[in-house]
Amino acid sequence: MGFFVDATTAVFAVGPLLAMFGATLLGVLIGALPGLNPVMAIALLLPLTYSMEPLVALAMVAGIYNGSMYGGAIPAILLRIPGTPASIATTFDGFPMAERGEAAKALKVACWSSAIGGIASAVALMTMGPLLARVTLFFGPAEYFWIAMFGMASVGVMVGSDAVKGILAATLGLLIGTMGIDSLSGQPRFTFGQTWLLGGPDLIVVLVGLYALPPVLQLAEKCDLRGLSSAQLRLESVPFAKGELRGFVPTWLRSSFIGIGVGILPGAGGNIAAFLSYNAARNASDEPETFGKGNPQGVAAAECGNNADNAASMIPALSLGIPGNVVAALVLSALTIHGLQPGPQLFHQNPVLVGGFMVEMLLTSVLILLVGGVTATRMFAQIQRLPGVLLVPSILVLMCVGVYVINGRPIDLWVMLLAGLAGYVLEKVNIPLAPIILGMILGPMAEQSVRRALLISRGDPTELLTRPLSAVLAFATLGMIVWPMLKLLRGKRKL
Amino acid sequence: MTLKATLFGATALTILAGAALAEYPERAIELTIPAGAGGGTDTSARKLALLLEEKLGQSIAVLNINGGGGSVGTSQFIQSKPDGYSLFATWNSPLTTVPQVQQVAYDIDSFTPIASTSETAYTLCVKQDFPASTGEEFLAELAANPGKYTYGNDGIGGTMQLAAERIFQARDIQAVAIPFGGAGETLQNFLGGHVDVYGGSISPVLPYVETKEAKCLLVTSAADVSALPEASGLAAVGLGDEETLLWRAILGPKGMDQAIVDKLAATIDEAVNDASYVEFLASKGEIPNVVKGDALRTRLQNEYDALAKVSKALGLGQ
Repeated sequence: MGFFVDATTAVFAVGPLLAMFGATLLGVLIGALPGLNPVMAIALLLPLTYSMEPLVALAMVAGIYNGSMYGGAIPAILLRIPGTPASIATTFDGFPMAERGEAAKALKVACWSSAIGGIASAVALMTMGPLLARVTLFFGPAEYFWIAMFGMASVGVMVGSDAVKGILAATLGLLIGTMGIDSLSGQPRFTFGQTWLLGGPDLIVVLVGLYALPPVLQLAEKCDLRGLSSAQLRLESVPFAKGELRGFVPTWLRSSFIGIGVGILPGAGGNIAAFLSYNAARNASDEPETFGKGNPQGVAAAECGNNADNAASMIPALSLGIPGNVVAALVLSALTIHGLQPGPQLFHQNPVLVGGFMVEMLLTSVLILLVGGVTATRMFAQIQRLPGVLLVPSILVLMCVGVYVINGRPIDLWVMLLAGLAGYVLEKVNIPLAPIILGMILGPMAEQSVRRALLISRGDPTELLTRPLSAVLAFATLGMIVWPMLKLLRGKRKL
Repeated sequence: MTLKATLFGATALTILAGAALAEYPERAIELTIPAGAGGGTDTSARKLALLLEEKLGQSIAVLNINGGGGSVGTSQFIQSKPDGYSLFATWNSPLTTVPQVQQVAYDIDSFTPIASTSETAYTLCVKQDFPASTGEEFLAELAANPGKYTYGNDGIGGTMQLAAERIFQARDIQAVAIPFGGAGETLQNFLGGHVDVYGGSISPVLPYVETKEAKCLLVTSAADVSALPEASGLAAVGLGDEETLLWRAILGPKGMDQAIVDKLAATIDEAVNDASYVEFLASKGEIPNVVKGDALRTRLQNEYDALAKVSKALGLGQ
């Protein structure tokens, strides 16, 4: 651990410290504004990193990445609008809390949970990075298939009261997920001869439309001309009651573990980490029926889970040279430009730089408590004082700008609008939106993995179950389906 | 993001004002990359863009458009004006390979070739315990065991797969192709033992050659590659004609002004041969390679024709 002393010393210089502080604040802002997302922000920042002091550049990446994961929770709690796709699960309990007048508390829980998830993840990156990276190598196509199935089995808890409608939503997600070129046969599917659809509809564009637009439209429906008075906001700091923090510890532990697990395996990401954490918290709870109605544990689970994904997603990138998501690829690209060669020797090539980045991932997580808790939350919460007639068009403009900049093509605006209107209608007929995202992300993952696994086994399906690890995952998936049923039965017997 | 939006705005304004060729470039250039941010093509192009910015005295805004193996970004790019302010930094696959398997709305004539920038080979690597230690032995082992070995590649009908199949067809080898989402994913599955052979670009696997975890026995270029001393070039195994390279180029939309093309080609030539860029390329196992204008068009056409033959034989062609 000696090298971390050098790395920490290097990070505690004026440049990196200022960069971390500024970038975390900027990250919270980017996360809080629907339509703007951290990946775009970091990609735009990338050219700057080439000429900049590398530790300063990486400090900015760390700050934006960690800050935005928390920032997304602010509009999710206050307005039911997820600021980033990773904060969709935060709306489930965060918004009901805000409706009850507990917005300040929900934000505080989100802030603490984000920080703790981020810290746990950064510690994992610093202490067990190479080990965890080696573990990911055991996961082949068969294992990825079961991970996707495990995620989809958790849809069961997302579907709400009406199972048929929930399954309908998940199926819709699966269908959208099949669009574009099939990567295993090269055949285009559901592209209607449109070239821009060859890559499928852009995931972020659809998610922004589907999850951010319906609440914006609902806001518009209210036709609110006055806005909330500052008294109504009640955002003065609410201290945690004695022993309240301790009540979150099991949720934080569980969600950190899940977030790190999802993070090291490429393909899913913060939103899936948040969903799985939320689901696990609900399964473990004595009163699962309070979830979705403003249970602070739900906010804690989702926010802790999505931040725990962050630093962990850097593990395969920094230890193996295999980037698991776009942000990790951007970090590797920045390191390459600075003359480092990604791979198992990366850390030894420049322990101060690579170690320093890990320290920065840790420090920016701690900084969430500072800038997120005090500065940002109060500042951004003030947007609620805007009357709806001003707030709605402002958010719409932001969403359009954010969506357009992703691919620079106008058709994406129509995709967002279409997804948003569809989401609005679906909500009106009580079809839950959450299962759609699971279908969209996990469907293609499951399909491609199982076909790859069968190609490797020359068509023998038993290999999906007989590799020891795949068997364990298959069993866990089964448990995921059976466990809530058993719990339900047992609960009924008690009555 | 707002920066990007301002750039778009500024671009629109100057189009109205009209641009004088003599002073090209007098405003920011937009560089479209048909791949995601952070990948091999993206990193090479962004690094080059830094040098070009310096030499041209204008800023270059990068737009990444991912999807369809590059065809989405390519199709979007050919709609832009041939005024020299929209350029395209690509690798060869979207132009010569993707059209073999997808119905795309462009061909080589949709572009003004400006200059190629760098090239590298693909490589085929195995684990240390594989029963072969030279390129020839490797091919013999594959030929002796039809259908036994799996090799990971960058995607069905991708340049890497066609590069490998060209060699396999010439030697009557049957290996099972497992398409992955990119070299990183292939590497992960190769290191984990889920596929027997790594097929992909050199730079991701290079560190594992140094740690002796992987041995790379064949490269898809005719000549040997100095970064991989164990690997045979195709000429060494008598297959020099079956060379397929991974190379990168900068193009414009059809109908660009020749004076602008010449100026850009000369500037790219300078930038690519800048010592810092050559060194950067070497660290990724690439070498500078500048082919300009009509020679570049011929190169694209020849590669397109050769790959058409392979993909037909594989049953992939349209």
